[in-house]
Amino acid sequence: MLIEQNMTIYTAAELKPLILAEVRGSESPEFDLAAVSEIDSAGIQLLVLARREARSAGRMLKIVGVSPAVSESLSFISLAAGTHMRREDGAPDRIAAQGNGEART
Amino acid sequence: MAKTILVVDDSASLRQVVGIALKGAGYDVVEGCDGKDALTKLDGRKVNLIISDVNMPNMDGITFVKAVKQLANYKFTPIIMLTTESQEGKKQEGQAAGAKAWVVKPFKPEQMLNAVSKLCLP
Amino acid sequence: MNLDAALETYVVESQELLTQMEESLLAFAQGSVDAETINAVFRAAHTIKGSAGLFGLDGIVGFTHTVESVLDQVRDNTIPMSAELATLLLHCRDHMGHLVDAAASGEEIDPERAAEGAQWQGKLGKYLGKEVETATGKIGGEGAVAAFTKSATDYWHISLRFGVDVFRNGMDPLSFIRYLSTIGDIVAVIHYAHDMPPADEMDPESCYLGFEIGLRAATDKATIESAFEFVREDCRVSIVEPSSKVSDYLALIKELPDEEIRLGDILVRCGALTQHELDAAISLQTRPKLLGEILIDQKAVLQPVIQAALDKQKQVKESKGHESRFIRLDAEKLDILINRIGELVIAGAGISLSAKRAGAVELLEAAATLATLVEDVRDSALQLRMVPIGATFNRFQRVVHDVSAELGKDIALSISGADTEMDKTMVDRIGDPLMHLIRNAMDHGIEPTAARVAQGKSAKGTVRLNAYHDAGSIVIEVGDDGGGLKRERIMAKAIERGLVTADQKLSDSEVYDIIFEPGFSTAAQISNLSGRGVGMDVVKRSITDLRGTVEVESSEAAGTTIRIRLPLTLAIIDGFLVGVGKSVFVVPLDMVEECIELTPASREETKGRDFVNLRGKVLPFIQARKLFGIDDVRGRRENILVVRYAGQRAGLVVDELMGEAQTVIKPLGKLFQAVKGIGGSTILGDGRVALILDVPGLLQHVHREAIDGVLKAA
Repeated sequence: MLIEQNMTIYTAAELKPLILAEVRGSESPEFDLAAVSEIDSAGIQLLVLARREARSAGRMLKIVGVSPAVSESLSFISLAAGTHMRREDGAPDRIAAQGNGEART
Repeated sequence: MAKTILVVDDSASLRQVVGIALKGAGYDVVEGCDGKDALTKLDGRKVNLIISDVNMPNMDGITFVKAVKQLANYKFTPIIMLTTESQEGKKQEGQAAGAKAWVVKPFKPEQMLNAVSKLCLP
Repeated sequence: MNLDAALETYVVESQELLTQMEESLLAFAQGSVDAETINAVFRAAHTIKGSAGLFGLDGIVGFTHTVESVLDQVRDNTIPMSAELATLLLHCRDHMGHLVDAAASGEEIDPERAAEGAQWQGKLGKYLGKEVETATGKIGGEGAVAAFTKSATDYWHISLRFGVDVFRNGMDPLSFIRYLSTIGDIVAVIHYAHDMPPADEMDPESCYLGFEIGLRAATDKATIESAFEFVREDCRVSIVEPSSKVSDYLALIKELPDEEIRLGDILVRCGALTQHELDAAISLQTRPKLLGEILIDQKAVLQPVIQAALDKQKQVKESKGHESRFIRLDAEKLDILINRIGELVIAGAGISLSAKRAGAVELLEAAATLATLVEDVRDSALQLRMVPIGATFNRFQRVVHDVSAELGKDIALSISGADTEMDKTMVDRIGDPLMHLIRNAMDHGIEPTAARVAQGKSAKGTVRLNAYHDAGSIVIEVGDDGGGLKRERIMAKAIERGLVTADQKLSDSEVYDIIFEPGFSTAAQISNLSGRGVGMDVVKRSITDLRGTVEVESSEAAGTTIRIRLPLTLAIIDGFLVGVGKSVFVVPLDMVEECIELTPASREETKGRDFVNLRGKVLPFIQARKLFGIDDVRGRRENILVVRYAGQRAGLVVDELMGEAQTVIKPLGKLFQAVKGIGGSTILGDGRVALILDVPGLLQHVHREAIDGVLKAA
């Protein structure tokens, strides 16, 4: 699923059903965030929600492409959180950042 | 893209100094000389942060904050209130209205920059 | 950061605010107190203080803080406003003015003034019921950079749990983490699980985020805490210092019991603990005392101390609505603009002239359009320079207040025509002459209270300031309801001083004009008020320098009115061009009443005297040729230009009438400034220089001659 809007508190309410639909409706849910020019904590929270939902459905959530803005925001948040989740309940999912802006750990 | 800050105060010199400091740090600055004037600056442009005085003619800071909270495109914008030690009541009123951050007047430009950078880095 | 320009703005702004304060305080002193005005005064002091802090002007901050505190309590009706307090505040206002002036010049305030300030501040302290520290003020410290009390290079552990309303309050948790990254290196882990409801119930505008952060930074706890000062009520913040004992981390883990295992994991991940330490610690959880040790900074959230004081003042003010429409502008830029427009006017005239000579009709039309536009632009540009005289007038409220106290007279100032606009330069330069005239009216014009009562007049004297537009000039009147000028006393003094001879027959207005002669004063004793280095002669000279005139009207019953007549602007005039021989002169158009031909027949009639009969009235005239010593061949025809100024009329005999033209006034060089009858020069469209006639000067000359003629004849 390609997300083109900003992922901020202003768009969160509008994005939530779209994101949930992708997570629930797709066998391998994925989000392309390469066109997201702005993301804040509310946006990240939606990704976190998406990951949790995917995980509970036994799917793996993929993020295939991040814009510089998304990359910058994620750089503050250790992806270790993903590994941590796997450790906790053994589910294989994690946020995988790929594409033009590899998130730093 | 540089972050835009709306500076609202009836003192031109305060706006000027804060403006110089903020621009120097890499922010874009839009000025409003009172609440009423500032509302006209919220015309669809991107504003990342608002700095507003409390005591102003035409529309005071509290009323202004309440108005901003009614604007769909701006209601989640962080707001820094400029208060004074003698205005603890005003500060509470401002916080209740939705301006959760504050800087106490008189302040030095670097103090303002420090407060701003907690909410929004350039 | 160069703040010079901003400091300049601050100085101008403060001066304006101080002026407003003064006006309001004067009103208070006279017993007219209203909440709105008190609020305005408070706000003025507040703004001056607030901006002073930005420039580190601690002296202003400290002093003004006390003033503001008192005003704040006046707003709250804790301290009643009284004439006494108003007077004290006026002194304080003056001191603030001195402080601002000192800041403007970058100098220290002079010690005498400083002592004075301390005295006022001390008196204010009495109202506040406490000793006020009169040293330099302290700067509010919320954002103050805390000194490093401890240097550490190890990991800090910060645990954050944000409240649900954080987003709605405009806060972005990420921004705080970004801020931390400016303090040191961070490793942050989202800890989202807590309390995030099932997907369908989850409110995307609520915040369910928590973070565990490892921060490697050489800083202190206060600095890290301060990062979260704006979310203090909306976020649980726990900070564990570097090199803390394992038990400290355990305490943190215990603090969030439901997350025990996970948090321990996170601590390991953030580098705070090794896995071994954690395992060891958990196995050691047998001593509740150790675990109960709360090391987390549980800084109590300051409960709002709601001040009982309710804001009784309405803050929204319609009357101040115009403020936002103004822009501040360097007067010099305006001068440059007006100068350029002046050149444009000349250039435009040049084009018209060439077009006329070439007989190019299309060009003429275009030139005419251009001329109209240039005229509009000129008018608008000049309008930019126009400011209402009101601000200058209001300044005198204070003067009248102070001087009447000094003189022991009860005098009020009544102002009318404050909206009348005039050139800024003129407003600036008319201040001193007006000051002197007002002092003079109060000192010499208005009688002592006892004398007034004895004459059946009201005990309170009145000084009037009035301004209005009249026939292309501005008239400013300074009037008093005193006893009027005493003709006999002036005459006696004038004769004694050798200014006139006893046998001279002078009209009332001529007698009154004597008071403007250098070295003339009728006051029985020169009080220290009128003796401040400016005499009426200097007043007159200042006004003449502005191309203005002064006249006096006086009667014993109605008092004295001094009427100053000034041109609207100093820069450009509509001129009427006249030719005398090969020379061209410019007469200000608004002073030209009519033009008549001086036929050889009517010239005969004058029989060598300088009068003509104009529709039954005697019109004295001057021959420009004679006046300026022009020996060129006399034109075939001669014309009389009838000029009028301040009710007087005279004719000016010239050769040729050349029509109207906009004229940029260029001042005469120093060498020619003393020349009578010439007010300036200008450059014509064809590049020639023309002299601008000083009509008031000429009229004076004519009447002098005429009177001398009559006297001789008598």
